[in-house]
Amino acid sequence: MNEYFILLKRELRSILKEKTIVFAIIIQFFIASFSSIILVGVMAFYDPSSIGETSRVTFNVGVVSDTNNRLRSYLREGRIRVRSFPDLPAAEEAFRAGQVDTVIVIPESQSGVVDMKLFLPTMDVKKTIILLKLNGPLKKYENYLRETNGIRLNYQETKGKSNTTYEFLYSVIIPILMLFPALIAGSIVIDTVSEEFENKTFDTLVSAPVSLGQIFASKLSAAVATVVVQVIMWSALLRLNGLPIQRTALVIPFAVVIATIVCFVAAIISLYFKDRERSQFVYSIVLVMGVGGSYFLDASPFSLITRLAAGVPNVGALEVALYLLPLVLIGLAFFRVSKRLVLAHY
Amino acid sequence: MKNILTISKWEVSRVRARFSGRSRFIILAILLLGLVSAYLIYHQGLAICKGLYTIGVSADAPVITDKCFNTIGTDPATGQMLLREKTIDLYVNGNKILFREDINSQYAVGALQKYLERQELLRIANQYEMNRAFPLRIEVRYLEGPETNKGMAPRITEPEETPTPLPNIPEQPSRPGTSPPVTPSASDAVVEQQLNELLKSNRLPEFKAEFVSENEIIIPSLMTPPIPLAQVIIAFLYIIPLFFVSVFFTSSFTEEKINRKLIVLLSTPVSRLEIILGKMLPYLVYSIVVIVGITLALKGNVLLGLAIFIPVMLFIFSIYLIVALTYRTFKYQTFFSVLALSTITLYLVVPAMFAGVNELSYISPLTLAVEMYRGVSFGIGHYFLATAPLYIVFLQVMFIGTRVFNEQYLMGFKPLHAKVAEALYLVIDKKHLNVSVLLLGLFIVPVVFVTELVSIVFASNIPLTSALLLLIVISAIIEEIAKSLGILVLLQNNAVKRQRNVAILAALAAVGFLIGEKLLLFFALGILSESVFMSAVFGSGLLIIPLTLHVVSTVVVGAVTMRLGTRFYLPAVLVGSAIHVIYNLNVIKAFL
Repeated sequence: MNEYFILLKRELRSILKEKTIVFAIIIQFFIASFSSIILVGVMAFYDPSSIGETSRVTFNVGVVSDTNNRLRSYLREGRIRVRSFPDLPAAEEAFRAGQVDTVIVIPESQSGVVDMKLFLPTMDVKKTIILLKLNGPLKKYENYLRETNGIRLNYQETKGKSNTTYEFLYSVIIPILMLFPALIAGSIVIDTVSEEFENKTFDTLVSAPVSLGQIFASKLSAAVATVVVQVIMWSALLRLNGLPIQRTALVIPFAVVIATIVCFVAAIISLYFKDRERSQFVYSIVLVMGVGGSYFLDASPFSLITRLAAGVPNVGALEVALYLLPLVLIGLAFFRVSKRLVLAHY
Repeated sequence: MKNILTISKWEVSRVRARFSGRSRFIILAILLLGLVSAYLIYHQGLAICKGLYTIGVSADAPVITDKCFNTIGTDPATGQMLLREKTIDLYVNGNKILFREDINSQYAVGALQKYLERQELLRIANQYEMNRAFPLRIEVRYLEGPETNKGMAPRITEPEETPTPLPNIPEQPSRPGTSPPVTPSASDAVVEQQLNELLKSNRLPEFKAEFVSENEIIIPSLMTPPIPLAQVIIAFLYIIPLFFVSVFFTSSFTEEKINRKLIVLLSTPVSRLEIILGKMLPYLVYSIVVIVGITLALKGNVLLGLAIFIPVMLFIFSIYLIVALTYRTFKYQTFFSVLALSTITLYLVVPAMFAGVNELSYISPLTLAVEMYRGVSFGIGHYFLATAPLYIVFLQVMFIGTRVFNEQYLMGFKPLHAKVAEALYLVIDKKHLNVSVLLLGLFIVPVVFVTELVSIVFASNIPLTSALLLLIVISAIIEEIAKSLGILVLLQNNAVKRQRNVAILAALAAVGFLIGEKLLLFFALGILSESVFMSAVFGSGLLIIPLTLHVVSTVVVGAVTMRLGTRFYLPAVLVGSAIHVIYNLNVIKAFL
């Protein structure tokens, strides 16, 4: 046991010396902050109303219509300024003078279908924002026309909160932050193992009075230790940012369990191939495949973290415990084959 | 050229030897499995929010098949109880949604409404005639704006019957129940097509041409904002294989660096550039094969695909070459590879998400790829904007690579900053100090630009006003460091000794930097927008004053560093930055 701790200290020191964990944290921080910038963009697309909430964009719409159309009041409800024009040339004139930003031509409604014309400015950003902001009032008007046709869309009256941010944070950002450390830990394992092969230091280690099991246990625990540090740090930081992880007592152990499984897989791969080139390649493919394949599971690591972090009631300790089974299996398999794989080198 | 081919041949046989026998079989099997599961996911549709909401439904409620919802069928009484106990987030009772006031329940309502809106639209589309269910169609036209109207005739020319103004006549909608006469309208086909898109939309979406194009007909309830997913998919289809190939390149390069084979090559009559190109060539060929293959598989234009992705490939390879040249241990390499991968992906994907929405999206070549797959043409100016930076980076890296390619640099163990300093010193031509320092100042501009962009990303985590101030300070420090780095390494190596020379070099570095900065603005803004910006950039007052500033601050940094010694470089930079910040704040104040 004593040798194990000596070896563990050696591994941890090398990780600290190479500042790997610092880099890991910087990368994740970078990804996380970039994602939040993307989020603002994505939100604006998926959820036009968020533009109205976050930015105080107001613009003027010139409406050309013969009747006192209901669309006008819908536009005003959406805090859009409306100006009326008797005909299109007058509206165009106002557009060119910069008095209105867009023009809507509402025809006389004779038949069931209303064919409107919308004149947008050519400027990219402006036309996008105008179109997104007009969409709400236009939808209301469309529903109103439907109702005059005797058609009703159900479930329109209750208004929930926009779920885009919430879903993005809990099903993308949090799982990435909780599982990315595992990916890096696996890489660390491959690097330390293949480094021993390429620098031929396994020879010295094998002849030293330590068992192979202790060597690998120390390497793996050093890698997993980096995961523990990062995962705890992220959950604390997220909480500080007002984004609490609901069941921390389950999420953190679960992330560590997954990391350990990944590390075992990485160790087996690197012992089999023995050089970094092939090991890292196979490892990344296996990882991509694992992430993809786990999608078919009902409680994949990704979605289990999502559900635990969001506090979904029907998952809990049992689902987490299920992942101990593959952990134990792969751990046993690893310690069975490790000696054979190392000796295959000589 | 012959030497390059010889080295390439060695490299190919080395890789072939490594991936022979059992390991080739295993890798192929794993790859195949990966492809199969990717195919299955693609056809199942991707739901990232799987099982996020738990909802109760009554017997007469619509069937909810979306994977985001766990549905529990109960009678209304039990449903309300479960809702109060917070076992479910909401309860659908017939066509009513019951929910709580807390945030989780509200989000669930939001998500369910989005899903049900789609279902309802499909329901009415099936139940009623097209022009009763979708009675509103809007045709989009473009108007030339007031600012770009240069005597051009307005673009709407078709005769428009002027409606006689009839104020205050209340609207007379057709009465409910009495269905209007069914007159098939031309826009019915559009509705049909958009409904079909809606039907498919739980699969991965198709590429949509511009957000709205001229004469397009939109139906408000069927209008879909541009979905960035397609861009992300293109990015991953191309970037991941390129990334794998370049990882092989770095691994092999580092391995030969460690076992000194590269050093042995140096003693042969092969030039350094030939060694680097020779080792890179096989991987470049693999990458080109990959690009052609993917473009063919996606039914794109191969020549265009190559034109767009070859610069991307060269860019990725140059980044990885730098990593391989600088680091001796694999762990460092892994980290820098991951960092490089994520940065490159973000650089490509983020601007491309705004393809067709914002002109600035053209700084990413992925935007061009998106346009290509949409069948939209783009101009040569846009191509230049998107790819020129990548070509320039490649050329720069090849230049730096050949300069630093010697035994001492390759084999030395040093911390990162010392490595960078050493590389800089090797890059500077000692016989033509003045020109070298000037060019260094010029070519470091893209690095500064990227670093400042990254600092903006990080600063987005803190409140806006303090972030702005912090950004002004940080970019001043970054720029001062960039301008004075060359002088620092020269001082460290005792290559300049006289105060006067330091001052001259500092001034030259500042001039180079300013030229680079203005060139960047010139190209970026020149392609993106009208000439309004040009006059602003090259306006008389705006050129002399910044030149003075850059020269003064850099000379100060150089002089202080020389007086106090290179150990005091950082304080010296801070003094220079302070001048810079004061200037910047004054400029901003003048604009406010």
